[in-house]
Amino acid sequence: MSDLVLNILRKVQDRDGFVSEDALKRLSKDLKIPVSRLYGVASFYAMLHTKEQGRNIIELCGSPSCYLNDGFDVEKLLEKEVGVNFGQTSKDGKISLFKTSCIGCCDQAPAMLLNGKPVVNLTKTKVREIIKKCRS
Amino acid sequence: MQILKKTELAALKKAQELGAEKVIELLDKKGLVGRGGASFPTGKKWRFAFDAKADEKFVICNADEGEPGTFKDKFILENNPETLIEGILIASYVVGAKRAFIYLRGEYDYLKGNIEKVIKSVIKRSRLDVSVEIVVGAGSYVCGEETAIIKSIEGFRGQPYYKPPFPPVSGLWGKPTIINNVETLTCAAQAVLFDDWNSSLRLFSVSGCVDNPGVFELPVSVRLSKVLELAKPRGKLKALFFGCFGGCMPYVDMEMTPENVCGQDCVHGSCSVIVVDDSRSIVDLCYVIAKFFAYESCGKCTPCREGTVRVLFLMKKLKDMKATKEDLALLEELAHHIKNTSLCGLGQSATNHIITGLKHFREDFEERIL
Repeated sequence: MSDLVLNILRKVQDRDGFVSEDALKRLSKDLKIPVSRLYGVASFYAMLHTKEQGRNIIELCGSPSCYLNDGFDVEKLLEKEVGVNFGQTSKDGKISLFKTSCIGCCDQAPAMLLNGKPVVNLTKTKVREIIKKCRS
Repeated sequence: MQILKKTELAALKKAQELGAEKVIELLDKKGLVGRGGASFPTGKKWRFAFDAKADEKFVICNADEGEPGTFKDKFILENNPETLIEGILIASYVVGAKRAFIYLRGEYDYLKGNIEKVIKSVIKRSRLDVSVEIVVGAGSYVCGEETAIIKSIEGFRGQPYYKPPFPPVSGLWGKPTIINNVETLTCAAQAVLFDDWNSSLRLFSVSGCVDNPGVFELPVSVRLSKVLELAKPRGKLKALFFGCFGGCMPYVDMEMTPENVCGQDCVHGSCSVIVVDDSRSIVDLCYVIAKFFAYESCGKCTPCREGTVRVLFLMKKLKDMKATKEDLALLEELAHHIKNTSLCGLGQSATNHIITGLKHFREDFEERIL
């Protein structure tokens, strides 16, 4: 299973939190694949990160279904509570905020992924609790 | 629900007794068509790969369900993975593949552990010499396109390429490859085993402004009023979007066949219906969808890469009531150019929401003009 580049890159990210330049260089030697191609792959996918990320990763769903069920502007609330814009990491290094196209939880909207796991039927209280937990 | 019926390895056994050619004939006879959106006859696809001469062949299960508003494959992955794996084994047996892949979208990574367990158990009991590996995607909508999946598994950027050659002739690493969607492969196992298997049933994913969103199994020719009766719209109904790529239409109580949906200039796709109530402007929805396409364009062909960004720019102007009449005309012209000149299905459908939005709800757009 581990001979596929995408699986290997994901494993590196699971281990290190992101896919660093050094990791790509090492992989390039091991796999005999030019580092430029590996970087091309790593930078293509939204869920692979080539820069260091926060300890917790929040990926907010941006689908029309979530948009239609978002009665409190979850996007703004997240930015306010975390204190950064989407695409950024909080100063304490604890939370990175991302937007994602759709996480397939349209029947439990609005929803997001917290470290890869869905958190659904978001409310203001739920969002605040999650941020608090991420900070502790 | 028919899709939840378990085949308990009896479908594989029956397939082995029938032999590859008879299984293909059976699928043709039962009328199984692809459930990923293109409705290509499954038996025909398998026959291409069966006929192709090669030392190695592959089967890929497309579990990259990325279309916003679609969650029926997730429903199968969670509730009937055993039958899906059996479908993959049957496909592998029929075409002579020893290695199969499940391309699982990164957003469903949390399902991987359980699917792996099921793979192990089903393969062990089947005593078949086939490996089924999970490749976890990493957040790319275009990787649901079959040639992009191939590139992604091969370890390249997941960008589509021109067809032909089609994957059943030359696919993964240049070898004949069957790529079928989760629902299709699950149905394949059920169609082989059950005499009363009904080819007209589809899984509708219904979401948006409804009180009872979810996956509903209904005949493909079900009336829209029946779908909505189940989903319970909230507020007064205004429009329906068929995912992000399928465009929108006002409510018409028609049979939901692909032909009827196409008659509204929309694309039926994989039966996702997003319900919109009359408190919303179609412009705001189109802005959300324009953001999606600008973000998900893979960047390979110019019309889609540059066009989706310009569309988003114009949609933002419209949304903020800063667009002129000329901007609207430009938006409409651009929408058609992108649709007509993009390389793959993503670009070709990246402006359906705007084209159909303007066709059915032009007043919403004109209202926002300076």
